[in-house]
Amino acid sequence: MLEVEKVDTYYGKVQALKGVSLKVEEKDIVTLLGANGAGKTTTLRTISGLIPPAKGVIRFLGERIDNKSPEKIVRRGISHVPEGRDLFPDLTVDENLAMGAYTRKNRHEVQDSIARVFNSFSILKIRRKQHAGTLSGGEQQMLAIGRALMSNPRLILLDEPSLGLAPLLVNEIFKIIREINQEGTTILLVEQNANMALQVARYGYVLETGKVALQDQTERLLEDQHVRETYLGLKREGRKSSCFSR
Amino acid sequence: MLLQVIVSGIATGCIYSLMALGLTLIYKSTEHVNFAQGEMAMISGFLAFTFFQFLRFPVALSLILSLLCSVLLGLLMERLLIRPAITAPHFNIFIITLGASIVMQSFAGLVWSYDQFPFPTLFPNKNIILGVVRLNTVTLGIIGTTGLLMLTLFLFFKYTKIGTAMRAVSQSQNAALLMGINVKRSFALTWAISGLVSGIAALLIAPVIFLSTRMGLVVINGFAAAILGGWGSIPGAVLGGIALGVLENVAPYYFPSQIRNIIPFAVLVGVLVIKPTGIIGEERRRRV
Repeated sequence: MLEVEKVDTYYGKVQALKGVSLKVEEKDIVTLLGANGAGKTTTLRTISGLIPPAKGVIRFLGERIDNKSPEKIVRRGISHVPEGRDLFPDLTVDENLAMGAYTRKNRHEVQDSIARVFNSFSILKIRRKQHAGTLSGGEQQMLAIGRALMSNPRLILLDEPSLGLAPLLVNEIFKIIREINQEGTTILLVEQNANMALQVARYGYVLETGKVALQDQTERLLEDQHVRETYLGLKREGRKSSCFSR
Repeated sequence: MLLQVIVSGIATGCIYSLMALGLTLIYKSTEHVNFAQGEMAMISGFLAFTFFQFLRFPVALSLILSLLCSVLLGLLMERLLIRPAITAPHFNIFIITLGASIVMQSFAGLVWSYDQFPFPTLFPNKNIILGVVRLNTVTLGIIGTTGLLMLTLFLFFKYTKIGTAMRAVSQSQNAALLMGINVKRSFALTWAISGLVSGIAALLIAPVIFLSTRMGLVVINGFAAAILGGWGSIPGAVLGGIALGVLENVAPYYFPSQIRNIIPFAVLVGVLVIKPTGIIGEERRRRV
């Protein structure tokens, strides 16, 4: 469904992605792991057209979308939930959702989508006339996901949905991600919370300094020694861990 | 009569509000400061003058044509001067608009001379007597037109999809792009609306103060109004303008008349000392 092939992306003179390739199959959940600055967010921003890649090819549903504007990419069915939610703080919940449906013309279909979002996130219905900036962190994340669903996407790019949320809310958000996927939407998930991400996803890529360092089925990544140590914070079994070991 | 003075102060204030509104609209959506706002207004006034004085068009048609031209002028400014410099620091853009204002003023001087010209008004010049208050219809026309324009803009920004999208762009360009909103077109539309607002301000004030190339200086009062109300706030721009206009007209009622240019700015400084964010301005909050 989505193919990223040998993509290079620069911020000014700094190269953030160095030949990144990845694939997302239809109806799948794929996760992108990595430390801060590894290029996870940049990968998503390149796919959604916010930064054009300097090199490489991106295909969505068989057609090239690299160097297309974000507007055209949204219309083709890719929705991006950006890092830090990036809601419109002084617009109401209703208005934020309406902006999510900006590219759609049919009012009845948009109404259906709003009803579906309120069905998944009942708290948003209660808050619909409130400004997005006044919502709690969890509610804001729900609104960010709801807003992305409003364009009726085939693929959702989720950037750190669990960031800054209490553990109970993190579980809630991941439950919602599974539900969205079960309804047929493909998901590309970027997470710092590697443990949760590897549990919910089927396939995973590990990014290190702008390159894909590792890729595999998530069950196997969970077993991988390097992943266990670096991203799950687990030490080798049978050995007493200490900050000063090595 | 004090009440009469206040009403004419509100009329003057409406003009300041319109200038402040034009500045604020552009600032809110692009964070650019348009110093040429006043000159854009002045050019609209002279175009209207050309249409009816030299081309002998009917007055109403001339005014409508000049408003179309002010929309066009806003679009041209955005397309030719601002967009090519979109990645430049805001200060550079400010200097570009300052340069544009000087060019426009000199251009107007070359074409139309530096004289003052009388300007017709659409409103009949009569006095309406309400009890002990005598109200001039031109004054009421200015207040009515401004009120109507403000209401229209409010409804546009609040209830239309494009208006809401323009507010969205002003809050997060990044998120607006991800929603599929054409941010460049939204900027262009902002400049068009701002051009229209300044054009209307010119047509309202020219009959009162005469048409001249120095008319553009009203932008200074527009800045003062916007800052007094709270820089970046649309209701603040409206309120600040009216407050400034009323002060300017009421002050000479109690003090020697030379005070009229001092009092408003003294009050502005005073307000900023007590409340640096202006009357209804709020702290600029950045959320993560």
